[in-house]
Amino acid sequence: MKEFTNLALDIARSAGASFADMRIVEERQNRVFVQRRSLKLIDETESFGYAIRVLVDGAWGFASSTKLTKDEVAATAKRAVAIAKASAQVPKDFPLVMAPESKYIDTQVGPCVEDPFKISNKEKAELLLNCTDIMLSQPGIVMAVGYLQFIRIHRIIANTDGSYLDLTNTFANPHLGCYAVEGSESQDRSFQGGARQAGYEFIREIDLPGNAKKWAEEALIKCRADDTPQGIMDLVLDPMHLALTMHESVGHPTELDRILGWEANMAGRSFIKPENVGKLKYGSNIVNFTVNNNLEGGLGTWFYDDDGVKMQKFFMVKDGMLNSLGCTRETAPLIGWEKSNGCCRSDGFEHFPINRIPNLYMEPGDDDSVTREDLIAGVEKGVYIEGMGSFSIDQMRNNFQFGGDMFWMIEGGKLTKPLKKVTYQAQTTQFWNSCDAIAGKSLWKSHGVMNCGKGEPMQVMRMTHGASYTRFRNINVGGAQL
Amino acid sequence: MRTRDEIKALFDKVLTKVNGLEAQVSYNFEKSIATRFGENSITQNMGGESESLRFVVYKGNRSGSYITNKLDDASLDRLVRTAVKMAEDSPEDPEYVPLPGPQEYLKMQKGYFDDVNAVTPDNIAGDIKVVVDMAKSKGFKASGLFEAGAEIDAIANTNGLFGFDSSTNVSYSTTVHGPVGSGKAEISRNSYAQINIDEIAEKAVGNAAMAQNPVEIEPGDYDVIFEPSAMLEFFAFMLWNMNARDADEGTTVFADKIGQKLFSDKVNISIDIDDSELPVPIFGDAGLAVRPRAWVKDGVLERLRYSRYWAKEKGLEPDPSLYPAFMRGEDRSIDDLVKMCKKGLLVKNLWYIRYVDRKELLLTGMTRDGVFLIEDGKIVGPVKNMRWNESPIHFLDNVVAMSRAERVESYAKLPGILSKDFTFSSKTDSL
Repeated sequence: MKEFTNLALDIARSAGASFADMRIVEERQNRVFVQRRSLKLIDETESFGYAIRVLVDGAWGFASSTKLTKDEVAATAKRAVAIAKASAQVPKDFPLVMAPESKYIDTQVGPCVEDPFKISNKEKAELLLNCTDIMLSQPGIVMAVGYLQFIRIHRIIANTDGSYLDLTNTFANPHLGCYAVEGSESQDRSFQGGARQAGYEFIREIDLPGNAKKWAEEALIKCRADDTPQGIMDLVLDPMHLALTMHESVGHPTELDRILGWEANMAGRSFIKPENVGKLKYGSNIVNFTVNNNLEGGLGTWFYDDDGVKMQKFFMVKDGMLNSLGCTRETAPLIGWEKSNGCCRSDGFEHFPINRIPNLYMEPGDDDSVTREDLIAGVEKGVYIEGMGSFSIDQMRNNFQFGGDMFWMIEGGKLTKPLKKVTYQAQTTQFWNSCDAIAGKSLWKSHGVMNCGKGEPMQVMRMTHGASYTRFRNINVGGAQL
Repeated sequence: MRTRDEIKALFDKVLTKVNGLEAQVSYNFEKSIATRFGENSITQNMGGESESLRFVVYKGNRSGSYITNKLDDASLDRLVRTAVKMAEDSPEDPEYVPLPGPQEYLKMQKGYFDDVNAVTPDNIAGDIKVVVDMAKSKGFKASGLFEAGAEIDAIANTNGLFGFDSSTNVSYSTTVHGPVGSGKAEISRNSYAQINIDEIAEKAVGNAAMAQNPVEIEPGDYDVIFEPSAMLEFFAFMLWNMNARDADEGTTVFADKIGQKLFSDKVNISIDIDDSELPVPIFGDAGLAVRPRAWVKDGVLERLRYSRYWAKEKGLEPDPSLYPAFMRGEDRSIDDLVKMCKKGLLVKNLWYIRYVDRKELLLTGMTRDGVFLIEDGKIVGPVKNMRWNESPIHFLDNVVAMSRAERVESYAKLPGILSKDFTFSSKTDSL
């Protein structure tokens, strides 16, 4: 491949590029989708392509192609240069500069014990059909859905820093869910474990058939449950639920491109300002959020981001204070930072790499003996929520409203009855400052998010979050009613 | 870009490899240039094209499928070989439906315009400069996306079906931020000549100027006027629930509702094929020919979408697609709706809509990029954004009046709507 990457980078240099890279991406995907007792989709996908990104006179050009010949690579590089020159018609107030980065020559392969592409599609389909059959065997379950997706991405990144990176990652993404109907009521329940950077061993570990009956029964329980209570009360949230809460209210607002206003037309901006770092009380003193793009099995553990920056670990929020932001080589210098912290990724060869949420998780409490039951015991009136449901947040990442997948009333320190249609609404920093207890490390769980949408044209990115059970005081519950 | 005949030859090459099995092959080509801008400068500028082939083969009621963007002969051999092996190994599908035969495709409105192929990154940069210069002159900041491209979709199967469709699309959206408030304008058309650059810039900057210094009001029930851009995603959530089987099984709001009057008698939703502003693709699912179809007529739910399997079970014709969706409007402007409103809110855009309860079709979301208080038929001034919890069923049942319908995306043409008693539930300082 080096003959092609050298050709592209030489053309960029001779056009005066201050930075250029070529990213070659080969992707393989396998999907099996079952709906009710019907196999709706069983397929494999392969794609190959590359993009050349050039920074000429402080403006970007980017061109992609699927044909890997010397002529086509040269033409694509020249097209990228021409596009960069067009960009200069509407320039920034000052030329764009990339933060400096070391040169890396490296080859890395991510974790994958049991190659999912070597497991027969028949085995995968029968696993899902068995699960949906278990669910549909419960009277009242009218619909069950099972899905397995495996993705392997091989990236070669060469840039004008002299880096040449050969990187392979494999992702396993399972889903299983069902809908129950009783009378005029319909409720759903689903697997909440998310995705992982792993092989088929992850699918065996999560034991979908062993849990299918329980989830179906809980969907039926929800149909018969009382509607949400209303008022100010306490919440105990499980790790799978918190993955989405932190994604929306910590991950996105700390993206520096949003803070700079670059996503204002679609994904939105942020209530955070660069000068808030080190000064904004994001949460209570026990709230700590860590970025760890080396997290084992993390969906954002890519070894190097698409800027060629080595993946890192740092505090985003430390002892409740905003400690850092997620940035790229392009955005870091704009707030006076010397280096990027490696949050630049693209979802495919044809898309421009942008500032993305990294692996981001909430640290467990200091005392490992604290359990979920301990947190519940400290609540006079409240709700315990498991899993993800409804979620919505304003474009500055302040006002949010979340639901969940399963709900229980807490009264007098005990779970008393199931609930349905629960939502809670808060403002971001008010919410995290209301956190007063976190369970221990042994209860900490991770959750991989496969479908984070951002950018224009839309890009879909993946990252992993994590938490232990956590308690929040005096939150507005049950405001979403017809 | 491959021609119709070249794509047909490619299909023939693939389908001759299947040795009497039932198979379907589809082709997609996309070419686009896209320029993003933010804070009054271009931030990303991209160009590229891609093509892919999807092959599905059936062995009885077992199937296998393979998708590739490698279209050389060796890759096509692998495509067929792998999919056939997958079909041999896969479990039987009790809901298998044989592929359709040749279709009579209707002549649709023109959707392919050569002027889009002539658009260059230089043209786009010049167009973006118009709104950036206008925003700068007021001390505002513009951001947005300008995208122009062409697409080909083609399909064939071993039962003799062949369909070919091509279209061009230009979409331009821009958001302008002042110090304390923002405004947005957007347009989507099939031809570059149909995009009025100055008009979009003036609208975005004008909306931003009008939205400055919003005041806080208390959440509660308000009469609202949704502009067509605010209608889009709110309406889309309702469309996604218009599946006949889901309703028959009782999981959606439309369970047992066929033939019932659910909406105001002003509400009509359909696929129309005679509207030149929004051309309709000639085929949908499995290459089935798209036909005009009424979903809601004078407020009555006439029909939900039937898949090929569910249609077969129910003895009905399948529906190739729900889109594009057309909602008929009335002959008046948004300004006319404002004059009709005693007290209410004009909502320019909505944001981050999600289900609260799927069965009730209760949704939540935020307002964004301009909300204005109306009193006695006049706009009093901008107000701060609020969260809402509401159902599109209630919204469309409570319609007071509509404006003329506009194309808001390549899949929908919608009017602005004045509706009663829309529920806002909480406030935000976010602008």
